[in-house]
Amino acid sequence: MEVVVRLEGVSTTYEGERRPAITDINLLVERGELITIIGPNGAGKTTLLETINGLLPSEGLVEVFGLSVREHGRELRRRIGYVPQDFMVEAGTPFLVKDVVAMGRVGRIGPLRPIREGDWEIIWAVMEELGIADLADRPIGKLSGGQQQKVMIARALAKEPELLLLDEPFSSLDARSRMVVCEILDGLREERGVTVLVVTHDLSAIPEGCERIVLLNEGRITADGAPDQVFASEAFLRAYGPVRAVIA
Amino acid sequence: MIALPSTLLLRAIAGGVLAGALCSLVGVFAVRLRMSSIGFCMSHSAFAGAALGVLLALDPLLMAMLAALATAALLGPISEKAKLPANVIAGVMFPMTMALAFIFLMLLPGPVIGLTVLSLLWGSVLTVSPSDVAFLAILLALTTSFIVLFWKELNAVLFDPRLAEADGVNSRAYMNAIIFLLGGVVALSLKLVGGLLVYALVVNSASTALQLSYDMKKIFLLSPFIGMLAFLSGFGLSLWLDLPVGSSIVLTSSIMLATSIALSPKRKRG
Repeated sequence: MEVVVRLEGVSTTYEGERRPAITDINLLVERGELITIIGPNGAGKTTLLETINGLLPSEGLVEVFGLSVREHGRELRRRIGYVPQDFMVEAGTPFLVKDVVAMGRVGRIGPLRPIREGDWEIIWAVMEELGIADLADRPIGKLSGGQQQKVMIARALAKEPELLLLDEPFSSLDARSRMVVCEILDGLREERGVTVLVVTHDLSAIPEGCERIVLLNEGRITADGAPDQVFASEAFLRAYGPVRAVIA
Repeated sequence: MIALPSTLLLRAIAGGVLAGALCSLVGVFAVRLRMSSIGFCMSHSAFAGAALGVLLALDPLLMAMLAALATAALLGPISEKAKLPANVIAGVMFPMTMALAFIFLMLLPGPVIGLTVLSLLWGSVLTVSPSDVAFLAILLALTTSFIVLFWKELNAVLFDPRLAEADGVNSRAYMNAIIFLLGGVVALSLKLVGGLLVYALVVNSASTALQLSYDMKKIFLLSPFIGMLAFLSGFGLSLWLDLPVGSSIVLTSSIMLATSIALSPKRKRG
């Protein structure tokens, strides 16, 4: 199988901090996998995602599509869809929903080439899929938290990414919207072999179809495997305590 | 009402209209990216540069431009090194450049402060030369081309620079380009409205445009016309009531902003 993400001995320390936010991470992600990264608050989940996306300087080997993110970060980010955690804009923000979704294609297209008809077809198709096409001409700041979250997911999908990094993508979505997003992710994996990494602290937000869970605790991977295996592990009990009822 | 020779009047109007359009266009970047204090800092360092030019018997306008551009070049790296927002560094540099300007003025021989420096402080639209108009026209053409050519990248940076970076856009390069553009526009507009007031034309006109739409494309299309209108109405007021041009422009642009806030569709329900 083709390896999409390779991390070997990776540690990331924020500037001014002595203790790394993630330590000695080793992780292999294959093409088409859907992996959920779980862990309690402050476990280093977002740091791990941003390290893979080349947004944070780190030690160790971080490769995406066989290329080092240190040397090819910007070039790689043009192929990676990213949804940041809790992204909300002010009410008066002067951008329309369709323009924010279209921004997803900017890196992919590259400089000096405008957004063309073909790009707009992709942008509209993604908005239709997520049920936000009727919001296209509305200012993004006027939308609810859940609608804004869908816009950010649409923006990441409009890029036609080969790797999707989703940081708490379901935190503001209702059950039906979560299902729609999960169906879209399944479709992308099956049809185009897109690899998906989802970060969540909420165990009830683990997407359906997830076959592998990575548990982070205090900056280290403490369990990695099938959901049943991870939930049954000592590491899980140490990280979350007795919460089995929630995931049952 | 003051009567002026027609060539002088036309040149002043041409220079003012170009400066109004330019200030307003770059103002949209400055306001949206919260760079307002950076602009203030640049206009005051340009004033310090002009004062140094007079002291050293060099061209004050050239020195003003160099000082504004040097500030633009220094702000980013200092802010990164100090791990402080550029706005904070600008807040520190702003009084420092004013202090330098006053020291340079104090060092001037004789009791009279140079007229050139004063004109750069308060503005003197009637002394605009054909080459000033040409420079403004060239800078407007360059600014417009920059916006049109890199529209989608600039739009993404204006929405959120960090998110744009995560999408593979070189946000830092675009931010630096915007700061340089701001420095150039402030320095070239100094002669017209003065170092103390030029930034009002930048902030007020852009803020007016931002009140009128949620669509960034429309805001960029509207803003140069608002800047031109701010200049023309201020210039007309100054001729009519014999008031300083720079002050009149600031007053009319402030009234335009207040009116846009009152009439803004952003405050309507539904």
